[in-house]
Amino acid sequence: MTLNYAYECAIAGIGATPFTKDSGRTPMDQAVEACLAACEDAGLPPEKVNGFVTYSAEQNPEIELARNLGIPELTHFSMVHHGGGAACGVIAVACQAIYSGAADYVLCYRAFNERSWHRFGAGVQDRPAGAEASEVSFSWSSPFGLVTPASWVAMFATRYLHEYGATTEDFGRVSVVDRDFAATNPYAHFFQRPITLEDHQNSRWIVEPLRLLDCCQETDGAQALLVTTAERAKDLQQKPAVIASAAQGVAEDQHMMKSYYRDSITGIPEMGVCARQLYQSSGLTADDIQTAIIYDHFTPLVLPQLEEFGFCDRGEAKDFIRDGHLGRDGRLPINTNGGQLGEAYIHGLNGIAEGVRQIRGTSVNQIDNVENVLATAGTAVPTSALILSQPR
Amino acid sequence: MSDEMTDEQKEAFVAKLRKEVGNTGTPSVARDPVNQPMIRHWCDAMEDANPLYTDLDAADQGPHGKIVAPPAMLNAWTMIGLIPRVNDPNDPASGVYAMLDEAGYVGVVATNSEHVYHRYLNIGDHLTGVVKLVDVSEEKQTALGIGHFVTTETEYHDQHGDHVGSMFFRILKFRPGTGRTASTAGDGDSAGERPPRPRPSRNQDTDFFWQGSREGELRIQQCLNCGRLQHPPGIRCPACGATEMGYITASGKGTLYSYVVAHHPRVPSFDYPLNIGLVELEEGVRLVTNITDCDSAQLKVGMPLEAWHMQTHEDVSLPVFRPARVPPNPNTLNFDEVSVGDELPLCPIPLTPTLIVSTAIASRDYQDVHHDRDMAIKKGSEDIFMNILTSSGLSARYISDWAGPDAAFKNLKISLGAPNYPYDCMTMSGSVTAKREADGENLVEVSFRGQNSRGPHVSGTVDLALPRA
Repeated sequence: MTLNYAYECAIAGIGATPFTKDSGRTPMDQAVEACLAACEDAGLPPEKVNGFVTYSAEQNPEIELARNLGIPELTHFSMVHHGGGAACGVIAVACQAIYSGAADYVLCYRAFNERSWHRFGAGVQDRPAGAEASEVSFSWSSPFGLVTPASWVAMFATRYLHEYGATTEDFGRVSVVDRDFAATNPYAHFFQRPITLEDHQNSRWIVEPLRLLDCCQETDGAQALLVTTAERAKDLQQKPAVIASAAQGVAEDQHMMKSYYRDSITGIPEMGVCARQLYQSSGLTADDIQTAIIYDHFTPLVLPQLEEFGFCDRGEAKDFIRDGHLGRDGRLPINTNGGQLGEAYIHGLNGIAEGVRQIRGTSVNQIDNVENVLATAGTAVPTSALILSQPR
Repeated sequence: MSDEMTDEQKEAFVAKLRKEVGNTGTPSVARDPVNQPMIRHWCDAMEDANPLYTDLDAADQGPHGKIVAPPAMLNAWTMIGLIPRVNDPNDPASGVYAMLDEAGYVGVVATNSEHVYHRYLNIGDHLTGVVKLVDVSEEKQTALGIGHFVTTETEYHDQHGDHVGSMFFRILKFRPGTGRTASTAGDGDSAGERPPRPRPSRNQDTDFFWQGSREGELRIQQCLNCGRLQHPPGIRCPACGATEMGYITASGKGTLYSYVVAHHPRVPSFDYPLNIGLVELEEGVRLVTNITDCDSAQLKVGMPLEAWHMQTHEDVSLPVFRPARVPPNPNTLNFDEVSVGDELPLCPIPLTPTLIVSTAIASRDYQDVHHDRDMAIKKGSEDIFMNILTSSGLSARYISDWAGPDAAFKNLKISLGAPNYPYDCMTMSGSVTAKREADGENLVEVSFRGQNSRGPHVSGTVDLALPRA
């Protein structure tokens, strides 16, 4: 199996609202702003857009956007399931729609007041106890108080620490890297506010072994990305970020955030499914990646992602991290926008925008000689990933 | 009542209470010699399986060469029994208790017991105890109520007049309803209410699990064709494709595969910090559950656990887990294999009404607060509660289960905190805190604690003599 749309499509425009803690605006308002900004960035009149792909978690319907953007007709519109796991999945589906001819210009977007309105971190304890399978799945965890995303991830983290001899300081080092990049990104919430490992270790417990500084922010804001063919992108005003490949993944005995029943729970096999597809279809390997956006809702799951993509061996991410490879001068600087801990939590889509900037050469934390950028989506859920490349 | 007393009156009252301090009572001869039926009853009630106490053959080959009484029974032998005999008019402690009863301090709890054992007792030994009043405290405000601590010391001699042991003992006599929490009980009622936990969603595919849990069974789905187990349940066996699914009833034994300790946010349905575990059952599948009856700091990947069923709604019980009792160690530890810092395995002791009543009776403690709920409540308690001799006995069992049958107790010192009420669970923990050689013996000091849902019930230390190769 290979992905026929490898290198066929590109991200031609990116647009976002300011990232805030209390926008004072509706998410719909922000979604419109981000989509218009992405079109303007590309130099494309919005009425040319004829496709939308968003997250199934998104509450701002694409038809409302079409109406507000003055789009006369849509020929593709779809949603990708499973929260932040959709981040690269929306790009993959956009590629599929474009490569198949179903659409020419597709906007992928995510908008919410995740801080000032509905906070994901508040937990799922009030979900209705219905009889549908999606509701029943919570029965195996919520009655026991395992109700927050942090707690779901923490269960993997404890086992990872136990099996590989990693420590919570290794989680902290990820946090320190994110905040270091955020400190020099004026767009980041934590601009000019770096942290030390000691700060991390002194931050309060959220769900052991996760501390406050292991957890991403909650943010109000919107991000949009405009996808089209690599050929059409050449005619737009920005340097195209070619989508070398984009893939989704689910692995055996997959559950939503709680795949606790597999023989091993220290890897992320669904990310392995993505990695295999990306490398096979693009012809690239870990050695070809200069910088990466590694999904960081919670720091512990950054470690197995590095392993799934072959940047280090199984269980050795802690050594890779201790050696400083994720930082500015490391082998693989990650999350150069500050990540979701440092810049903002827009369900991973802001990270992909940073990947585009690294290809364009316009990041505030630009890495030298970037040829290919890896970006990943939410982990522990059915997930996705992509590689962006320089235009040929 | 003493809250109406002036300071001077209080002073005079304490002086009266203290009049007999230093005096001893008439020697009290045990009603019966040390005997096998009482030992057996004690061992049954305490679930103490040390064979040196009840098994003739094992005792023959043991270090004593014959059956010995559990050392923690020391003061059980001279307890007065159900039908009170005429009180010794010379007993200085009884006089103090009577004065305190009269003044309204009718509540009673034991707070400290320190046994010293000079030798193990054999069947036929006949004890005599002499009580000395050591101290009566000033009036103190305690969590239970306003009261006085009364301290006694009892020396035990055998039929030959040899000194076999002693006991330092302290009780609190208090006025019911004067506890630190009593004054806020009125508004505390609603504060104690909490929203129920999130209710499990269920449908035809998962009903068997929740039905089982209500019935006290942990049911795991099994493919009726290939026998594969899976959790959470599904519709079809992913291994063989069969759609005929049944279930097995799991043993409830498992180990901790992973865990988290939730601190934030605090959902009002739960107590925090909240222990949530991923338990691997001995049958080979895992499930998310709570780990109850242990501190979060005591959680360790791999620790043995056992299931119990916690009722959370009128029609819902959840399978949850607590540390499993490790079987008694049949081979006595050698002094050289024990190190300071060694931790004893956790041991849960579910506090059933049967345990509390049977152990009180087995220790011949017929104080009504240990077996009669109405009287216990009348005397300021929430329910019947465990007597201190049982706290000693269970502590001794815990230590002996770890150290092995031949470990010899030199002493056993405990102090009590939160009462052990029925339907709770006390979890014992302990560690080796010192090692030394004295008088030709190889002594190990173990510090231990028994914690229930209210806090520490018992804490103490023991010196054990261990064999050395």
